[in-house]
Amino acid sequence: MPTDISYTSLIFCFFLLAIPIFISWKIRLELEKSTFEAVLRMSIQLFFAGIFLNFIFDLNNGLLNLAWVGLMIFFASYTAIKSADLNVKKLLVSIILAIAFSNLGVLLYVNKFVINLENLLDARYLIPIAGMLLGNTLRGNVVGIGDFYKDIKRNENRYLYSLSLGAGLYEATRPYLRKNLKAAVKPTLANIASIGIVSLPGMMTGQILGGASPLVAIKYQITIMIAIYVSTLLSATLSILTSFRTAFDEYGLVNKDLYGKNT
Amino acid sequence: MSIEPLNNELIKYENIGISFDNRKILSGFNLSIKKKQKILLRGKSGVGKTTLLKMLLGFTKPAEGILYFHNRILDSRTCWEARKEIAYVAQDTDLGEGKVKTLLDDIFSYRANKEKLDHEKLQIFMKELELKGNILDQNFQELSGGEKQRIGILISLLLNRNIYLLDEVTSALDINLKKKIADYFLAREDLTLLVISHDREWERDWIEIIDLENKSWETPKPNSQTE
Repeated sequence: MPTDISYTSLIFCFFLLAIPIFISWKIRLELEKSTFEAVLRMSIQLFFAGIFLNFIFDLNNGLLNLAWVGLMIFFASYTAIKSADLNVKKLLVSIILAIAFSNLGVLLYVNKFVINLENLLDARYLIPIAGMLLGNTLRGNVVGIGDFYKDIKRNENRYLYSLSLGAGLYEATRPYLRKNLKAAVKPTLANIASIGIVSLPGMMTGQILGGASPLVAIKYQITIMIAIYVSTLLSATLSILTSFRTAFDEYGLVNKDLYGKNT
Repeated sequence: MSIEPLNNELIKYENIGISFDNRKILSGFNLSIKKKQKILLRGKSGVGKTTLLKMLLGFTKPAEGILYFHNRILDSRTCWEARKEIAYVAQDTDLGEGKVKTLLDDIFSYRANKEKLDHEKLQIFMKELELKGNILDQNFQELSGGEKQRIGILISLLLNRNIYLLDEVTSALDINLKKKIADYFLAREDLTLLVISHDREWERDWIEIIDLENKSWETPKPNSQTE
């Protein structure tokens, strides 16, 4: 077992924040408030997550584990739409379906065929891996769907011109789909290629700190990176495609209320 | 569906009104266009000329009035048909990013345009439009305004449609080209033309001129159409 961190020693970790606060104050980055807010939010969220996870791990009930992942998917979808500054009401259902399908699909496949678990819904595997997948695909989804619709809006004349040339909805949106899906997975690909040299990823670090052999840790890492790549591209693609039904009107134009106030 | 009997009326604007930001800029506009008719729309900018064209493609909905296409109301279903029958050329054609050739191939990969790319015709039209052969390998975004305009015209010609909406398509071209292009389109008897242009080259004695500022559609001259 790794050495525990006592609550008093955690305070020493918070002391480190004096550095960004000082820089922010000195150069007037005006990040003091957001730093406090972000750290406070994280601490509270993790504190509760710790209590819940402890409880869930003890029970280790398959359905409950799945329900917990469902909740994570809901928040991931909600956050993705919010961060992309799009209309939550219009998109939530399609994004949840897209993210749930791709992440759960990849996750269960990995549990079954790669890790060879007896119990596919084992909390110790299901929840952390779901967390890794969702956390990593979230960025891809925000970039994918957010920039897709922003791109169409920014190039409205170009988009309308394709429609005027006789393009169907899928034909007219294809260039935007191509461009923004590429942008969504490029960082993941770059990340995959640099792992082991530039970075030692969180999961490997965790496993090694937890006492696992680095040789075991790398196999998990390879598995998780591939799973992340697959689910990022799959969920970004499905998110965009399933959003068409509510995002476009029958004329093939983007519904005006799709965009948030800041877009 | 229109209640009127079938006729060769292709397009009909009926009491069309246009507003921008709740401000009315045009109201009670009526215009009926028959097949093969050639019409020149005029009036200073902001009177709604371009909007009238875009309306035919379903890009804006009239604030009031009804637009008919082939005697059917132009709505969310019929607009898709209209987009396959009409060639629309804007003042500033924007094809997107990439090589002209790739972008052209993209357009002709649409189901509606499959097998319409005739390479022989492409060469002929390019020559007529005074576009150099290597333009196809250039990046579209790096072309000049005049070149982009001619690419827009080129595409519309390759699409080989019957109805042409031309919105200031010769504004960035030199006088010879303006004349050549206007002459070409106006001589094509099979085409229905709806033209917006400030270029004199498009004016003819016989072309019907609709002046949006003077509301000329309200007092049609009895002999305005002598064909």
